[in-house]
Parts: sequence; structure tokens; C-alpha cells
Amino acid sequence: MLSTIQPPRYLSRFPLRGRTKSRSFHILSSAQPVTKTCFAADQSQILSIRDSLLNRHLSAVELTHSYLDRLKQTEPHINCFLHVSDPDKVLKQAQDIDDKIKRNEEVGPLAGVLVAIKDNICTADMPSTGGSYILEGYRPPFDATAVKRLKDLGAIVVGKTNLDEFGMGSTTEASAFKVTANPWDLSRVPGGSSGGSAASVSARQCVVSLGSDTGGSVRQPASFCGVVGLKPTYGRVSRFGLMAYASSLDVIGCFGSSVADTGILLHAISGHDSLDATSSKREVPDFTSQFTYASSLKSRPLEGLRVGLIRETVDAGVDSGVKSAIEGAAAHLEQLGCVLKEVSLPSFSLGLPAYYILASSESSSNLSRYDGVRYGNQASSDELNGLYEESRAKGFGSEVKMRILMGTYALSAGYYDAYYKRAQQVRTIIRKSFKAALDENDILISPAAPSAAYKIGEKKNDPLAMYAGDIMTVNVNLAGLPALVLPCGFVEGGAVGLPVGLQIIGAAFDEFAKHKCLLNGFFERNL
Amino acid sequence: MGSRALLMLTNFNFKTTVSSFGSASNPFFLIKNNLRTRNFSTKTRSSLQPPDLPGLAETARISLAPNEVEEFAPKIGQVIDWFGQLQAVDLDNVEPAIRADTEGDNLREDAPQTFENKEALIASVPSYEEPYIKVPKVLNKE
Repeated sequence: MLSTIQPPRYLSRFPLRGRTKSRSFHILSSAQPVTKTCFAADQSQILSIRDSLLNRHLSAVELTHSYLDRLKQTEPHINCFLHVSDPDKVLKQAQDIDDKIKRNEEVGPLAGVLVAIKDNICTADMPSTGGSYILEGYRPPFDATAVKRLKDLGAIVVGKTNLDEFGMGSTTEASAFKVTANPWDLSRVPGGSSGGSAASVSARQCVVSLGSDTGGSVRQPASFCGVVGLKPTYGRVSRFGLMAYASSLDVIGCFGSSVADTGILLHAISGHDSLDATSSKREVPDFTSQFTYASSLKSRPLEGLRVGLIRETVDAGVDSGVKSAIEGAAAHLEQLGCVLKEVSLPSFSLGLPAYYILASSESSSNLSRYDGVRYGNQASSDELNGLYEESRAKGFGSEVKMRILMGTYALSAGYYDAYYKRAQQVRTIIRKSFKAALDENDILISPAAPSAAYKIGEKKNDPLAMYAGDIMTVNVNLAGLPALVLPCGFVEGGAVGLPVGLQIIGAAFDEFAKHKCLLNGFFERNL
Repeated sequence: MGSRALLMLTNFNFKTTVSSFGSASNPFFLIKNNLRTRNFSTKTRSSLQPPDLPGLAETARISLAPNEVEEFAPKIGQVIDWFGQLQAVDLDNVEPAIRADTEGDNLREDAPQTFENKEALIASVPSYEEPYIKVPKVLNKE
């Protein structure tokens, strides 16, 4: 099984003509996993690639060609990438891997795996624009730590993906350069701000990708595009090289077509980094060792797992299709042995204004570095303030300008106590309420968004309507907790339906707790 | 779809006391109403002045065209009104949290390290005249 979701059976298969989202994955489907690999690994592209390469069933060059061909075929329709690596360079890296394997030399655990990187994460040998004109053509002098770690393990970076400018947005429409389309329905948004990263995994242009999540920017696009999205605990992954939006909330997250793949990717990039003072010194467990063998599991493998469904997330305001997908998932969990109950978090709805106050305020400070002096596009002016004002006016898009202005207001003398400080206090309340709920339950579940993907242009002129869609995700950032979104069903819309994701929230640093792994793996299998 | 999601914003139950609330006279009513009426009104939830866009733009060093001021003012006003609902929450004795984790000091040793790729740093500078990064004259604002 190559993908974690299948469209409802009554719908016909994709017609190839005009269908850009090809699920014909012939080369990889012929790869046989080694016996005794864990069931979750059956689903893992990364492990099956490794297996095929090491057993010489497939060469890295052949694999790379297949992905690059698909990228070329689908890209004009979905526009995921702001920059695609030079194919010759990419093939050369693949060739190097094949040569090493021929010589029986060690290759890294991610050898041959094609990765796409969101364009607000710095890559030294490629432009990194943050989706903004102000950094058009900018080439960072360093790799982000997460990128460096991936490259050290043999991954091949296939390109930089489209995003809402500097991470500010929920649709990828706020990119200065292009709008990415949802592979499930080209007239709809892929979500945001990591829309390009989610869509490229969804369309199989790459194996896995990196995104960033400040208020849901990995989880909501994962839900809209029908892929797995993981937001780690704040501090689990180094933020060095991630263009800062809101420093107390930003994290780098992973996309994959299976839970196992996101786990492997997370493990590759996690760990303390002396270049990021907020990165945790806690040891990183080997997430992959926590996946278990199918044969050793009983019929009710999740016996006793305490699952809390957050009541405020299935109240009024959530699409009925989404609600029934989530309720279906919850019922399935009970069948697998979970103890399901409803949990109420009364402060839940406070999280949204608190988040936007904190994020706007911190972004107004973080984006002051883009002044046209040391890097980026520079406007001309005969005096310094004019240089700043013109460079920023020309370089930033409307959404970014509005958030900077709102943040500037909220931090102004006399207003700090009314807004920023109060938002920080609300953060404390939310942290405590989540902690209390996670003391009583092993995991919490909710939808990842109140609806499935909406049409391009639908929310463009209504900021509050767009912000409202983040209600399911922002509290998790405020509390700094890890969360995983995995596809759990479909709603009506598009040609074959639109995917809906289930959000699973865990305790801090507990991204893939043993029982959660079981949960995820089994859940995927049985959907 | 967006308006349905907005309903969720009004779902907050005022289980927390509002007795200690100071300035606005009718917080609960105001909040419910404010979200439905989309008109930008000068009556904000709290006693704070509404945003002065040109002043903020100057502080943020962004020059705004007149049509931008016209376009942004209502939207920003609307969002800031919405922020005001936090005024109604009882936050006495709640510690502000700078960020989520409480791991304490993770600072590295204060030892200088040489950054190798200096050429790339310089190459990014738009106006460079060795060894200076060139900027236009600085005018003092009186």
C-alpha cells in the first residue's frame, strides 16, 4: 500500500487524461520489503527505497528519474516549487550513491530519498526567498541545521517549495510568486503556509518534505492535501536557518505519505543544536524502534489507550463532513481498544486571538531585519529612512505588512500590557489546561481544520475568516506540544472527494510514544 | 464556511469571572455583537485608542500608499477589535509565559568561532564598496 488514503470505493478511478495527480507508482510498488520488517515499515517509502537500493532491485538514478519525470509532468498544474534543483546535479548525487553501493560502502539511512524544503528554510546552494520579493534571488551563506542533517544522511534536496510569505497565511495565496494548487482539486488551496511542501508529497513529486509550523502551517495543509504532517515539540528540532516568524512558536515540521516516514525524517533532523538557544538538550529517542511487528499485535492492539476528543473542536462551526470523518475515526479507535471520552478545554477559543497577538508582535520584531541593506532587494532613496521604508514597502506583500502593523500596535508603549502581556498569560492558561487534559488521557484528538480545502480566492479579502480556520491548530503551538495529522476520511467536493485529517496531540517530547505509534500504524492500515 | 468557523469564536463560555473587569460596560454583549457586525466602529472594546495607521507605518519603517491605508485600516481595525476580547478574561495571578518550554538556560559557551563563508555574506549585500556596506545619508528627524 503506497498511500495512506484511498478515495471512497464508489468513485471511479482517476482518468489519466487531465489528471495531474498520478498515483501510478510502478517502480516502487515492485519493491518487496524484506521479511520481518515492521508493519509500519510496509508503508514507509523511505525504508522500501533503502531496501530496494541495498538489494540492488533499483538504482538511485532510476528512482530519481521517476520522481523528476513526475515532477515535470505535474508541476505546471500544481506549482509547488519556487526553485527546482538542476536535474544534472540531482542525478549526479544519485549516481554517487549508486557507485558507493556498488563498492559495498556505507550509505546514509536517507540515501536516495528525495526531499523538498520549504523556502523559508535556508539552503546554501539554492535561492531561499521566504516567498517574498524582499528576498528574491537571495542565497544564504549557510544551510539550516535541519537541512545539513538531512544532507549528511544522504538525502537529495530536489527543490524549494512555495509558501505564504514568511509563513503568514493559511492558503499559500500570499506568496509573492505563485499560488500552489491542491492536487486533489486544482481549483482549491493546498492549505498553508507550507502548501507547496504538502502538495509536493501528495503529488509524489518527492518522497518527504520539510515545512514549518507556527500556528498550524504543517498540520492544516497535511489535512487539506491528504498526507501525514508532523509538528514536533517546540525545541525538538533546531530553528537555526528557519527564517523567523514568531520565535516562541515556530517549529520545523515533516510531511510524508506515511507516519513511519515522518518519524524517520523527524529523527534525522532532531536534537540539540548549539546554534539555537531554544533547542532542547533532551535525548532524542529512536522513533523508528518504537514501531512494532504486525505479528505480535493482538486483535485489540490499542487496549487501554486513553483518548480524549476535544469537545470544543466538534461543536458548531465545524463542517458536518469533517465532524463525521472525525467521529468515524474515533469509533474506529474504540474498536481497536481505546478508551474514548470527551474532554473539555474551556479556554480553547481564547487561543486564537492570543496566538495572533503573539505572532503579529513577534513577527513585527523579527521582520525588522529585512531593511534592504545587508541582503535582499534594495529600493533607491537619497536618505536612510527612505531606503528602509521604500525597500520594505516594495518588498513585502499586504498580509505581511498588515501583520507587522498590528504587531507594532500591540507592542506600542501603553498597549503592551493590554495585548502582548495578556496573550502571554493566556498562553499559560492554555498550557496548563492541555497538561491537565494530557495527565488524564494519553492523547487528545481533534480535526486539523474546520473544513476541507476551500476554493482559491475564497478567503482572500476577509482576514478574520481566514484566521478562524486556524482554531484547531494554534493552541498546540501555544502549548508547545507535538501533534500529528493523518488522513482519516473524505468529504464531498472536487472530482473524487477532498481529504480530511485527524489531529493527534501528545504530551511534550512524546511525539511517537509507543502506544501512539501502534495507534498510528494500525490506524493507517485499517482505514 | 468561514462564517461558520467564526461561530466557534463566540463559543467561549465566560466561566471565568468578569467581575474584576474594568473599563467597558458590557463585555459579554459587546463581544458577541462585535464579531457579527463587520463595520469598523470607533468604539473599541477597551478604552485604548484605535490604531493610527500612518504613525504605525512610520514606526515600522514601511511607507504606505494612500490606497493601502484605505484598504488596511478597516481590516486592521477589525482584527484589533477582535484582539480586545482578551480584556474580558480574568487574568489576575496568571504568570505570563514567554514561550512553551521551561527548560531554562541552553546557552552555549561564549567563545568566538570563525564563520567560513564570508564571500557569500558579502555577495548578498546590495550596495557594497569594499570594505563598506554603502547606505545613503542619514537625516535626523526633528
